[in-house]
Amino acid sequence: MHKRLFLPLAAILLIAAFTVQAQTGEIKLDAKKQTLSNGMRVLVLENHSAPVFSGMIRFNTGSVDERPGITGISHLLEHMLFKGTKIIGTNNYKAEAPLMHKIDSLAHLFRSEQEKLSNPLNLQDSTRLKELRQQMADVQSEQKKYVVKDELWDTYLNNGGTSLNASTGNDGTQYYVSLPKNRLGLWAFLEADRLANLILREFYSERDVVMEERRLSENNPWGKLDEALSATTYWSTPYKWPVLGWMSDIQTVTREEVEAYFKSHYSPSNAVAVIVGDVNAEEVFKICEENFGKIPAQPLPPPVITRDAPQEGERRIEIEHTSNPMAFIAWKIPQIGHPDLPALEVAANILSNGRTSRFYKNIKVKKLGDVWAYAENARYPGTFVCSATPMPDHSITELETAIYAEIDRLKSESVTDWELEKVRNQVDASFIRSLESNMGLCWRLAGSEAVTGNWHHFIDHQMAVKKVTADDIMRVVNKYLIKKNRSVAYIVKTEESKSQPAYPKEG
Amino acid sequence: MKKIICYLLIIMILTGFAFGQTEMAKSPGSKIIDSLTIGKIELAIPEVGKEVERVTIDNGIVLYLYQSNKLPIFNLSATIRCGGIFDPFEKNGLSGIVGTVLRTGGSKTITGDSLNIIMEFMGGSLETWISDERGSASLSVMSKDIDLGLQLFADLIRNPAFPQDKLDLAKADIKNGIKRRDDSPNSVVGRYFANTIYGDHPYGRILEWESVKGITPQDLIDYHQRYFVPNNIMIAISGDFDKAGIIEKIKKYFGDWQKSDQPLPPYPEVKTEYHPGVYQVWKDINQAYMKIGHLGIKRDNPDRYAIQLVNYILGGGSFTSRLTSRVRSDEGLAYHVSSSFYTGGRDLGAFGAECQTKSATAYKATKLITDEIKRIRDESVTEDELEDARDATINRLVFEFDSPHKIVTALTNLEYDGYPMDYYNGHFDRFRKITRDDIKRVAQKYLQPDKLTYIIVGKPETFEKPLDEFGKVTNIQIAPPVIE
Repeated sequence: MHKRLFLPLAAILLIAAFTVQAQTGEIKLDAKKQTLSNGMRVLVLENHSAPVFSGMIRFNTGSVDERPGITGISHLLEHMLFKGTKIIGTNNYKAEAPLMHKIDSLAHLFRSEQEKLSNPLNLQDSTRLKELRQQMADVQSEQKKYVVKDELWDTYLNNGGTSLNASTGNDGTQYYVSLPKNRLGLWAFLEADRLANLILREFYSERDVVMEERRLSENNPWGKLDEALSATTYWSTPYKWPVLGWMSDIQTVTREEVEAYFKSHYSPSNAVAVIVGDVNAEEVFKICEENFGKIPAQPLPPPVITRDAPQEGERRIEIEHTSNPMAFIAWKIPQIGHPDLPALEVAANILSNGRTSRFYKNIKVKKLGDVWAYAENARYPGTFVCSATPMPDHSITELETAIYAEIDRLKSESVTDWELEKVRNQVDASFIRSLESNMGLCWRLAGSEAVTGNWHHFIDHQMAVKKVTADDIMRVVNKYLIKKNRSVAYIVKTEESKSQPAYPKEG
Repeated sequence: MKKIICYLLIIMILTGFAFGQTEMAKSPGSKIIDSLTIGKIELAIPEVGKEVERVTIDNGIVLYLYQSNKLPIFNLSATIRCGGIFDPFEKNGLSGIVGTVLRTGGSKTITGDSLNIIMEFMGGSLETWISDERGSASLSVMSKDIDLGLQLFADLIRNPAFPQDKLDLAKADIKNGIKRRDDSPNSVVGRYFANTIYGDHPYGRILEWESVKGITPQDLIDYHQRYFVPNNIMIAISGDFDKAGIIEKIKKYFGDWQKSDQPLPPYPEVKTEYHPGVYQVWKDINQAYMKIGHLGIKRDNPDRYAIQLVNYILGGGSFTSRLTSRVRSDEGLAYHVSSSFYTGGRDLGAFGAECQTKSATAYKATKLITDEIKRIRDESVTEDELEDARDATINRLVFEFDSPHKIVTALTNLEYDGYPMDYYNGHFDRFRKITRDDIKRVAQKYLQPDKLTYIIVGKPETFEKPLDEFGKVTNIQIAPPVIE
């Protein structure tokens, strides 16, 4: 057993020397970029450490690009990209097309009937609605004989595909998979085919699936709270609705509306394809031009215009729920690329990252609760968010007070050099670790390129994080993390509903 | 607040296939797919004695080493044979607490808080945790920090302090977890499922404040003395180091640690009892969360490979599994539906199918799932289904070895879990030789529709039909957790 007693200070000096030595170079990444003839961008990063690659296609389209009436359409479209094309997922597209038109016509009648019933002035008779639903189901089962179920998914898995999925956020939508290295041609074919020949097959049952997905979020207290927070924080910006969309919109959106959205938003110039792994960059560019290059060019979708006016006072929203209390606090901050964002990120890190963070030392260790802070890097002005979960015997109010005390301290006292140095060391270490994950790099490269038009932006941002000073932090915290600029959403626990039948107690 | 919603929330370990394809004409695109999938998928299975070295230190520590100098990273994972499975009933939760306080409490020479300062400043991590059947300790540092990292790691694992204040903090966290355990319907359904299937066996026990509140620092010290001994530890190391040098360093920091001859306590056995029936747990939500299953198999069961394929076809293969195809894709009844045949533990695992559907289709979803469980026993699967399941299972193996640390931990885990060291080499043949008859035989043997336990969380009075045709109905009202 070693007898040396480490004191924090001794340790700092010891490690600081090491760190300085290691910090000779800038962060570098050798990604290659090429723009195809139709405007689609392709990024490649070669990594030959294992015979595999990860591929991601990101569209700069998310729920922020929606409008009331079609909220949730980006996410629903993402589901539909797994339903096949004119040549995949079908054994006879020509034969099923008329059936799909039949379903579309019934869906329109169904929607008019839904509208009629939503007005209390009309006769509340749902017989016709039920009939139409049955008729739609009948045609859908007629179509089934032409459907080759989930062929894209199936093909990827049979070829060793992992991490296969897609996801939609406020700002973007991405489709991704990791494959063995000699399946690059398969990837390019399947991905290009679903952009060139997409068919929105089995649309209405998939719409039901998405409604179930929405219910999952309604039954999760964090889901409810998150929805309340966005709707409270944003009065105008389309970040105000959930990515999943409002239930009223999901249950009435039609196949034609989703198709139109696909046509207007999935332009090749609005997409980035990223490949990271055991590939040759020139070969990837060639294969991508052959497959994706065929998709006709088209204009970019319109930018989002609507913005919130500056906030003029704290907003609070209370949700009654059977779960225990929890809260979100959000302060509005600028969008990606703004020079204040790196300092806000460092502030979030100093507040909540790790066991040496201020929230951990001054809130968690005192058993008040768990608090976490995060500064967004969003396409349009976003938020600096804290989530707060009080521990037993403490209230949301106590926890909020403790959080604000920590934030106020940042306004009047400089953070220490040690805290800044720690953040810089962590940036370097986590960058080096990130090089081990092909998929992780796909996320960073695709996100950076799609949102800013510059794949290198995430590295520039990290370099800017390393240059943040104590004065920068004090200035941005005083500027943004103020009462007038914040919104708070919190859960107040209610007892399980009174309607509960009187079952015998367990035990 | 940034939100990301995935197409499939849970990426299952085994993941798709298409039912009924044999009877159907293929798609026009399938020919193109065939032409793009001719090349054999390259797979190099790492072996001890080749890329990976296995060394035993005199005091019994087993080392697995994989050197890779491409990135200046050093990763170490230690595995300690211990776990909640050995916790006495009246001290249920002890293992988890030891795992937490081992790290937060620091060692006798350096406090946990100082350890936090050092590790976070160097952008590294040193963590410990203990689950049901495994204690774990990990170290991740840049290679320039190997010496300091190893020294701190060895000191912590050998001489933890277990101070009262960090024990109190860990207990407060558990108390909070118990208080909040009914906040999400998922945790309710999981808890009742395990408890109904396993009863008071550690696999099924419900963590209560009663067994946690009395735990003392001495309990933690005793636990550490009993299990944290060198001949009970395996260490997997990967990254940027010199092999000979690192073995010397391990000897330097761990070599004088004395072995123990105290045997492990006996493993409590799972009773082979079934608890069929419908257990309805009332909760004010707009869906029914269900988990349907029964006791499964041990991991050394020779039928486990065929069972793995049965499960893939039934509900383990995500999208094109029969359950997802029927319940999600055809009927639009659920976002997530799947099945699993868990074999992670050393005793009997469990079979379980799960799904969440709106209250008005609770009966329909329950019926469809039950029917699919019966159908895979009654009818042979198609050759296409079997082929897909085999291909997906075999071809994804390359991703088990796509990073240095995955390579070295994959082999360490084989030894820890008692699998033969050539396990991965035999993978291909084992799955290739499984036939449709094997699938039917094991489905009939290991899926038992008349013994299914149905845990349904939701509001039964809003279901479209009662669920009594699936078994005797027991209604459960959740009692508020006691945390005094």
